[in-house]
Amino acid sequence: MDAALGTLVAHLLDGNSQAALAEARRLRTPGLDGQRLVVEGLEAAMDLMSAKCTSEQFNLLEIMLTGRAAMAVAREVFPEGSVPCTRGTLVIATPQGDVHDLGKNITRMVLTTKGFRVVDGGKDCPVAEMVAAVAREQAFAVLVSGLISPVVPLVRQLRGLLRERGLAHVAVVAGGAALKQCTAEALNVDYVAHDAFDCVHFLEGLGVRP
Amino acid sequence: MTGLERVLATVRFEPSDQVAVIPQIFGHAARIAGVSLDQYLTDAAVLTRCQLAALDRYRGDAVFALLDVNVETEALGSRLRFPKDSYPSVEQYVLERPSAVAELAVPDPTKAGRMPVLLEAARLLRQELQDRVLVAGCVLGPMTLACQLLGAERALFAAVDEPEAFERLLDFAADVAVSFGQAQLEAGAHICVVFDPSASPAVVPPALFRELLAPRLRLLCQALKRKGSPVSWLHIAGPVEPILPLYPDCGVDIGNIDYCVDPARARAAAPQLCLDGNIRPLAFVDSEPEDIAAACRRVLDHADAGFILSSGCEIPLEARPACVQALVDSVKRNSS
Repeated sequence: MDAALGTLVAHLLDGNSQAALAEARRLRTPGLDGQRLVVEGLEAAMDLMSAKCTSEQFNLLEIMLTGRAAMAVAREVFPEGSVPCTRGTLVIATPQGDVHDLGKNITRMVLTTKGFRVVDGGKDCPVAEMVAAVAREQAFAVLVSGLISPVVPLVRQLRGLLRERGLAHVAVVAGGAALKQCTAEALNVDYVAHDAFDCVHFLEGLGVRP
Repeated sequence: MTGLERVLATVRFEPSDQVAVIPQIFGHAARIAGVSLDQYLTDAAVLTRCQLAALDRYRGDAVFALLDVNVETEALGSRLRFPKDSYPSVEQYVLERPSAVAELAVPDPTKAGRMPVLLEAARLLRQELQDRVLVAGCVLGPMTLACQLLGAERALFAAVDEPEAFERLLDFAADVAVSFGQAQLEAGAHICVVFDPSASPAVVPPALFRELLAPRLRLLCQALKRKGSPVSWLHIAGPVEPILPLYPDCGVDIGNIDYCVDPARARAAAPQLCLDGNIRPLAFVDSEPEDIAAACRRVLDHADAGFILSSGCEIPLEARPACVQALVDSVKRNSS
């Protein structure tokens, strides 16, 4: 990590949005490139958060605070739109029948600050709409987050529906309290992510570029 | 021994005739009775009939006068959406900001929303079963009710951004839990399960649990015991090992452990706490009865006198009855 960005990273890890914003503005004054600030600041903070979030230390609140601070900095640096997409487009949604979207929202935040373009299908989203979004946005993966067990049969349908649309190459990733009790084989998906950072690692491993 | 005696002996780490077993059957009771979930969640007589039928079928040591996690927030003014055959969810939260809690009053459990349904179910179940098995009611813990009043995302940010208002919200949530819980005990429930999944270390840091939630849970457990509850049962899902040592000081006697928690490590973390768990809930849907029996044997091989065999969380609605039966039968076989 660049030492010049160390203070920014520390504020991000503290989840201190105001201090992170002030430091980002200070860094930008001498003309620090926005892309460098994202890669060496935001992404570095997320990598450190990922390392911290071992299974025994993982909690949503800390990730939410760091994610919120990172998004505030990203909006400051790129006020006209989202963070530049360097790692490809994804679709994320919570399946129909499930309205618990906290995990999805946190994952979206983490992925956005890591350079993915994330198309959010929202909660209570029919699987057909997820597939339509994948086709429309030319996404390389679809992420499905489920807290309750009745969504399991819907998740199992995803791959077949993608295949019918000629999208068999699209990766399917599942996560959330209910879905992570299942194996990838049982859900008919490529990967079951333990948490948001585990999801990032899997997606990075695919090596997709926009 | 009756089921109630077995559970209470287990809580005291005293010998019992067999391992206590409590499949956490809530809405699944409606499914196996062929009743729609919306009926089950709105009609005390239907809930009672389904719980009794589930008890008759599986023969566990407890029944539950428990609807869903939206009872309190609905009673306070949140608008719910009721799908035909799954649990309701909040369509509009009653609070938009934590400080607005000052405008809310603790609801009258005999009148507000579906609270009377739960009270009537507790009364009917106790009337029918007396002390044969544990009749458990349910209240939301302060953290989960705060999330249900404000929305989880706003509530969690409020814990950091508006700590004073958030603490007032937690105090109010604890007051609601005391009032509703005591009413359930008056109606006939032996105990109230304090259900607080949002207090899980998966959601909030253990330090927040220790500083903000434990003191309020302590007051809640004390209030329920003052009203006659013989024991307190705290149900938090996820990786609870870091907070288990705090349970006894909160007055908690039974601590739920989810499938992701190693029972031996949980025991080491809280030697005097009765534990219940921890078969993977979805295994009741996607496994065979033999798999459930094997999982139970693995757990029971290391269980001590203070252990209640159970699912790690709620038995899913769509659970295979043969798998639920395997959970209960594994205790009978193990004790023979």
